[in-house]
Amino acid sequence: MRGGVGISLPRAQIGMTRWRRFRAAVDWPLVATIVVIAALGLLNLYSAVNGTRHAGKFDQQLRWMFVGAIAFAAFTAIDYRSLLRVAWIGFGVALVALIIVDVAGSNAKGSERWISIGTLGGQPSELAKLAVIMVLARLVSDGAGAKPHWTTLAPKLALLCVPVVLIAVQPDLGTATLLTLIMLSVGFLALRDLWPMVYTLFGMFLAVPILWESMHRYQKDRVLAFLDPSADSTGSGWHTLQSIFAVGSGKLLGKGFMSGTQNQFDFLPEHWTDFPFSVWAEEWGFVGSVVMLAIFAFLIVWLLNIALRARDAAGAVLCLGVAAMTFWHVIVNVAMVLGMAPVVGVTLPFISYGGSSLLTFFIGMGLCASVSLRRHGY
Amino acid sequence: MLMHEGGSGGVALPTLGRRLRWVLLAMLICFGGLVVRLWQLQVMRGDRYRERTVSNVVHERYLPSLRGRILDRDGVPLADNRAAFNLYATPKAMTPALRGTLKRLIGLSDEELEKIDGRLATAKKRKVRDPVLLLEDISRERAALIDQERYRWPEVEVRSEPYRHYPQGALAAHLVGYMTQMTAEEARQLGEQGYSSDELIGRYGLESMWENYLRGKKGKERYAVDARGRRLDEATAAGLIDGDRVTEPVAGYSLVLTLDADLQRIAERAVAPHPAAAVAVVEIATGKVLALVSKPSFDPNVMTGHLTKAEAKFLEDDPRKPFIDKALRVPYPPGSTFKFITTIAALEDGQGREDEPIVCKGSYQVAGDRNLFDCTSSHGKLDLVGAIQHSCNVYFWSLAERVGLDRLAEVANAYGFGSRTGLGLNGDAPGRIPTRAWYEQRGRFMIGYTINGATGQGDVELTVMQLTMAYAALANGGTLFVPQVVDRVVRADGATVIQYQPQVKNQIDTPPEILELWKRGTYKAVNEPGGTAFGYATSDLISIAGKSGTAQVAANKAKKDQRQIRGWSPSADHAWFAGVAPADNPEVAIVVLIEHGGPGGKVAGPVAKAILEGWATRVRNRDHGTASGPLVGGAIFGRLRQLTATWQLGVRAAAAPAPGPEDEP
Repeated sequence: MRGGVGISLPRAQIGMTRWRRFRAAVDWPLVATIVVIAALGLLNLYSAVNGTRHAGKFDQQLRWMFVGAIAFAAFTAIDYRSLLRVAWIGFGVALVALIIVDVAGSNAKGSERWISIGTLGGQPSELAKLAVIMVLARLVSDGAGAKPHWTTLAPKLALLCVPVVLIAVQPDLGTATLLTLIMLSVGFLALRDLWPMVYTLFGMFLAVPILWESMHRYQKDRVLAFLDPSADSTGSGWHTLQSIFAVGSGKLLGKGFMSGTQNQFDFLPEHWTDFPFSVWAEEWGFVGSVVMLAIFAFLIVWLLNIALRARDAAGAVLCLGVAAMTFWHVIVNVAMVLGMAPVVGVTLPFISYGGSSLLTFFIGMGLCASVSLRRHGY
Repeated sequence: MLMHEGGSGGVALPTLGRRLRWVLLAMLICFGGLVVRLWQLQVMRGDRYRERTVSNVVHERYLPSLRGRILDRDGVPLADNRAAFNLYATPKAMTPALRGTLKRLIGLSDEELEKIDGRLATAKKRKVRDPVLLLEDISRERAALIDQERYRWPEVEVRSEPYRHYPQGALAAHLVGYMTQMTAEEARQLGEQGYSSDELIGRYGLESMWENYLRGKKGKERYAVDARGRRLDEATAAGLIDGDRVTEPVAGYSLVLTLDADLQRIAERAVAPHPAAAVAVVEIATGKVLALVSKPSFDPNVMTGHLTKAEAKFLEDDPRKPFIDKALRVPYPPGSTFKFITTIAALEDGQGREDEPIVCKGSYQVAGDRNLFDCTSSHGKLDLVGAIQHSCNVYFWSLAERVGLDRLAEVANAYGFGSRTGLGLNGDAPGRIPTRAWYEQRGRFMIGYTINGATGQGDVELTVMQLTMAYAALANGGTLFVPQVVDRVVRADGATVIQYQPQVKNQIDTPPEILELWKRGTYKAVNEPGGTAFGYATSDLISIAGKSGTAQVAANKAKKDQRQIRGWSPSADHAWFAGVAPADNPEVAIVVLIEHGGPGGKVAGPVAKAILEGWATRVRNRDHGTASGPLVGGAIFGRLRQLTATWQLGVRAAAAPAPGPEDEP
């Protein structure tokens, strides 16, 4: 379009139609929900780091949010079907990244889960979840129509277990568990025959003692501390106890924004990554906590809604996967904060500080938006 | 909302449509579980957790009260407070690494580390985030070193707090006493009375006896900290803490003693040449104690929080038992100073007359006893006054035989022997006055016991304090006072809270002529040739009347491994001198005991003389009315500091290597 007063009217008219088309296509409830949660996350992070030497994390998070928003838009725009075509390649890239981390990852808190590229650090295990979800979607779309043959499916399923093992040996038990939960959830919802699921669960149950023996000392401590947090109130149980105190002390209405003493005076170490809900619950009380959980519940239900309305099984599984990922992240993280689960490094979507987690969820939501956008088929 | 597309038929993933209700149920259960848990934590237990988070942030510490001072009768401080640096840290912060760093930084000795570890262990059982006292009264240099690091370790803190200080050093140490850290057991018991386990508590002497008056009332400060123990600023704290943040401490009451610091110093210097001694000087008209000495002594400044194990062992191993108050706690046989009892008993009963002559041939044979009792010498013919002057045993044996042991005991009891003086300090002992029944209870009574009792030997035992009070009663017409040490209790602003009046223990009705006779005899003993203390206690400056005593010590063998003290043998006689001055109108009574010192007149006499001369020249004529603050010149203070310093050096030097023979000046 050329500039000038004379053509401003047609431009506006064209703009109107474009706006209408855009508005009709984009899944606004999804976008609105994400915006609300991200805003709450920023608010909470501001309270968590303000006035400390971590104050820079707020700006950093803001930058990640910006990048995430762009990623969301990009993945909305790209047709998920074309992405699924390269799902195995993405999966391969994720595997390579995980192997690199396992072999030569930088050491963060006794476990290797970071990969450093220049000054940026990222956790491939976060993005690996998306790769796995996409492969799951691809498998379902491949198998749609034809009855799957065990001979072709089994190696692929075995391949899906590889990232779980790679993440578990980092060791990042939380993410490994989460990945397993996502796969089980998707399997439960997507498989016609549930017996394989039952066998798998039974096998995992048998594997628990072996897993326990191969766990690191600190991981065992965390699990034990979870079982009885007051037994070692200065060591492993410290986080859990202080978190429970923080949540409980919020009472019905909370202590008010930026007034949580547990938060403000550093009683919860690293509360901006794994314990942001503790900060939230302390400052906003029971009412605020329930509101936040409700928003998350709405987000998950809405993702299921998109899955139901998806035009193909692959899109539905994609949304199911992202919904399951969101669901388990919220449940495990909040349960951990409330002393109902051991302390594992599982983030709260859009609330926890950290680029990898944020980017993963923005891309995941972008994929779902893409599915939603293309539900009517054109 | 979800099902508007219709049943499973229209859904791309048919299984999802079929199992949707299970998905929703699972979500409901999971989210419901979290909400229930939130309800439990935030609504049901919210108050408890709120309180708990407040206690995370709000810490309490006590503000030490200023302990009352102990002053002499003119206001010279014997116990005072000074500023000291105390080292505090929270048990949570004291990691092995920090402990190591601290050790290197300020050069902690093993003993200090042991102390610190012990206190941390005790405190860990309570609150790991509350600071505990690790070391008290650290040096200025150490305090500065730690203070420099306070940004690195906010949990380690040096506080400037009042600390007990004894400006006169070892002066009147047994009377004033000292303070120590309380034991774990005491901390448990006294916790209810508002003591905190790292406080010092009065352990000996007046410090212990008057603890409840002296200690005052602790204040309390509440302040806010972050998780690392760093104090938050006032504005933040004000927002977090309801109510008063500071409760001011109340200072303890001070004690004004009847003691005269000058006379006390004179007395302590007078006994300085002797390894072990006790002295008491009291006001005859009131029973107020002017000086009270027990030697060997200790420096309360060292005892109060600075006693090393080596020093403690050195003191405990001393066969002279420095921690036992020899003026109050230990009963000794009084020797001839006891003869006034025999005199009074006989004269009151009409069993003797002043002018009755008795011939002393140097020994005495009692009817019904094969033993021949030896006198100190062969005195020849003596009347009663002469017998007192020469301390002729034969004369008194003869009197005692007439009145009997029980009569002697009756008079002795009237003069306060056999019962506590009522001072109630340092285990004030009742002593022992044997009777016929007492002997019969333990075996057979023999007349020899009466003979022994008449001259203060054998089983008769009394304390220096008791004897002093009795001699005061002899001089004041028979009023036996309860010794008085505390004149009044005053508030920090100087106002008197309690004024104590002299207390009479017993009004004795000994006829004045007997007292008069005793006075003449004792005057002669000191001032006329032939007197047992003549030349020893005879003074040109003040007229002294007194009686010497030489008490034999029952076969008292030194233990083999016991440390040897030069000039002190546990089998030597005790040297006594008991007297009054001025002789014509007595004002003060004095008793000097030189433990295992030898002959009374020769050894104890000069000591008594020196003290009484000092009293007459330096104390008696001083103006008491306008006294405020120390009247003693700087020279004496300097000398005193020198003395205490030497004493401390002596103890430390001797304690460091294997303790060798005592080197007394």
